[in-house]
Parts: sequence; C-alpha cells; structure tokens
Amino acid sequence: MRLPFTASFRALARPGSAFAAPPPALGPAVRDMALVWIPLALLNAAWTAWRALQAYDALRRGAIAPGILGWLGADPADFQELVSALPASPAYGQVWPWLLLAVPLGVLGTWLHHAVWDHAGLWLLGGLKERRGFRTSLLAEAEALRIAALGTLLGLLGFVPVLGWVLALPLMLLDAYLWLFRGFALAARHGCEPWRGIAATGVHVLLLGCCVLGLVSLMLFMVRMAA
Amino acid sequence: MKRVPWVALATLLTALGLRVAALLEPVSGLLPGCAFKRLTGVACATCGLTRCVMAIGRWDWREAFHWHPAAAGALALLPIVAAWDLRRAWRGDPYPELPDSRAARLSVWAILAAMWALQVARGI
Repeated sequence: MRLPFTASFRALARPGSAFAAPPPALGPAVRDMALVWIPLALLNAAWTAWRALQAYDALRRGAIAPGILGWLGADPADFQELVSALPASPAYGQVWPWLLLAVPLGVLGTWLHHAVWDHAGLWLLGGLKERRGFRTSLLAEAEALRIAALGTLLGLLGFVPVLGWVLALPLMLLDAYLWLFRGFALAARHGCEPWRGIAATGVHVLLLGCCVLGLVSLMLFMVRMAA
Repeated sequence: MKRVPWVALATLLTALGLRVAALLEPVSGLLPGCAFKRLTGVACATCGLTRCVMAIGRWDWREAFHWHPAAAGALALLPIVAAWDLRRAWRGDPYPELPDSRAARLSVWAILAAMWALQVARGI
C-alpha cells in the first residue's frame, strides 16, 4: 500500500536528489502545489482561527497570568482597561467563510513572496549565473512548497493538548528545515551550488524576517497571552 | 495593459498593511523588544523598523525617518516605483534582469551593512 505523502517524505529525506528530474512546466507545478497545500492550509487556518477567537475572548475577560504582566512591566489596572475596550470577537460562523477566500490567496501570496525574496537572496549570493530568470525561481518554489506542505500537516499536531507542548521544539526544527529545503530546489533549478540556494533562504530571513517579525510577533503575542 | 503590474499591486498591499499596522499601535507597547539588542546590547539592522512602520501608519514621516531612515526612504519611493511599473506593464515590457555584476551585489551588501551601522551608531 502506498502511503500518502510518501514522495514528499522521500524528498525531504534526500533533498540533494529531490529535484534531479527535469523540471515540470510552471502551470502544472503551481496547480500541484495548490492542490496539496490549500486543503492542508485551510484545515490549519480553521483550527487556528477557532483557537485564536477563544484566546481573544479570554484576553478580553482579563484572563492572563499576573506573572506575564510583571514580565512585561505592564500595570494590571491599565492592562485591564486596555483589553476591556477591545471590541467583541465575531462568531466563528462569520469567520470561516472568509477563510475560503483568504487561505488560497495566502497560499499563492506566500509562494510569490518566497519567490521574490529567495530570488533576491540568490542574486546577492551570485547564484543566478545561468541567467534562467525569475520564472525559474517561481517554478522551484512551487515544487519545494508542494513538498514542504507536509509541514502544515504535521504542524496540526501542535494543537493537540499536552502533545503540542512536547512537540513544540521538534516542530520548530522541522519548520527551520522546511525553510532551508527551498534552497535545494532553487539551487537545482538555477544550476548553482546547493549552499547558495540554502544561503539564499537564509538571506531572505535576514532581509525580511526581522522586518515583519515585530508586527507578526505582536499579533501572535496578543493571541498567546490569553491562551 | 499588456502585463501584470506586480510591483504596483505589491505597493497597494503595502499601503493597506501600513494602515493595519497603525491599528495595532495601541498594543505595540507590549512587545518585548528586539531579542538581538537584548542579548548583545547593540541594535540589529532592523531595529526601529516597527516604530517606523507605526509612524508611517499615522502619516508621521518625520518620526518614521528618525526610527529607520532607510526603510522610510524606501517606502517613500514606492509610489515612484509603482508608477514606473504601471508604465512598464502598459507598454508590455518585461521586467529587467538583475545585473550579473559582482560590484552591484557588493554595493547592495554594503548598503545593508551601512544601514545597520547607522542604526547602531545612533543607538536606536
């Protein structure tokens, strides 16, 4: 019996040879990526939204450990006043239909985003000598993200009570590996050394990761505080 | 229009993102701050960027330039780049290739390093 995602597991285990086959056309590569990733991302987003709404409501009720407020240096009275002024959360039934629109857009947006920044990183590291163009980066990202979508599936384990805490570190390490994994696809399709492709994803983190980290961590922080 | 103006569309999304960032300002004080600076005592290359984005979100460009001159400058140039992209798309021209030049690549690295040095020197 052939298990689902067998090919993805094999590619992740042997990234050096995962992209040795001739490249597919861009259209089919993007379609395959979307067909694998969007359902998993929808499942993940639906669960995340449900948990986030619960956390937000708890935050509005002021359900936060005093130790966290002390660590933040926030005054409990000021904090209570601040969170009680927040608007009520929408019902889950109002939220999930929007996910059907937002998640596919987010998947395609993430693919484009990774392609732009990894392409820039690869250029900065001299990995575009073959002059195969941005289209090649789009193709490489689509191929790699189809395989890396497996991480979205495994990431669902992080929501399981207790097990989620146990798996937090391994899942973070998996995330880091899946990030770097795109570098193998970039290197193979652009015909450069693997280290340049992998380093390009690192440059991506340096160039942009820090920029958005503040805003994203702010939003995550708001959710986590009340979880 | 013969081609998709991707950069112009990205500019539009950036503008929307800046408005959303401004909405988050009331709770931005709860952020723990830059981990790199906390560990080393030295600003990272993007220290001040969140405050810069928040300032632009409320259209305070003076303060934005104070917190991160390079990012504020780049954001200020976005409308010009978007206009160029719209013209390119209208004419049906492809995007130009990135120059295959070591000097160009090193220049970009130098600009990034200079941005970082500037933030460190100013103690942001």
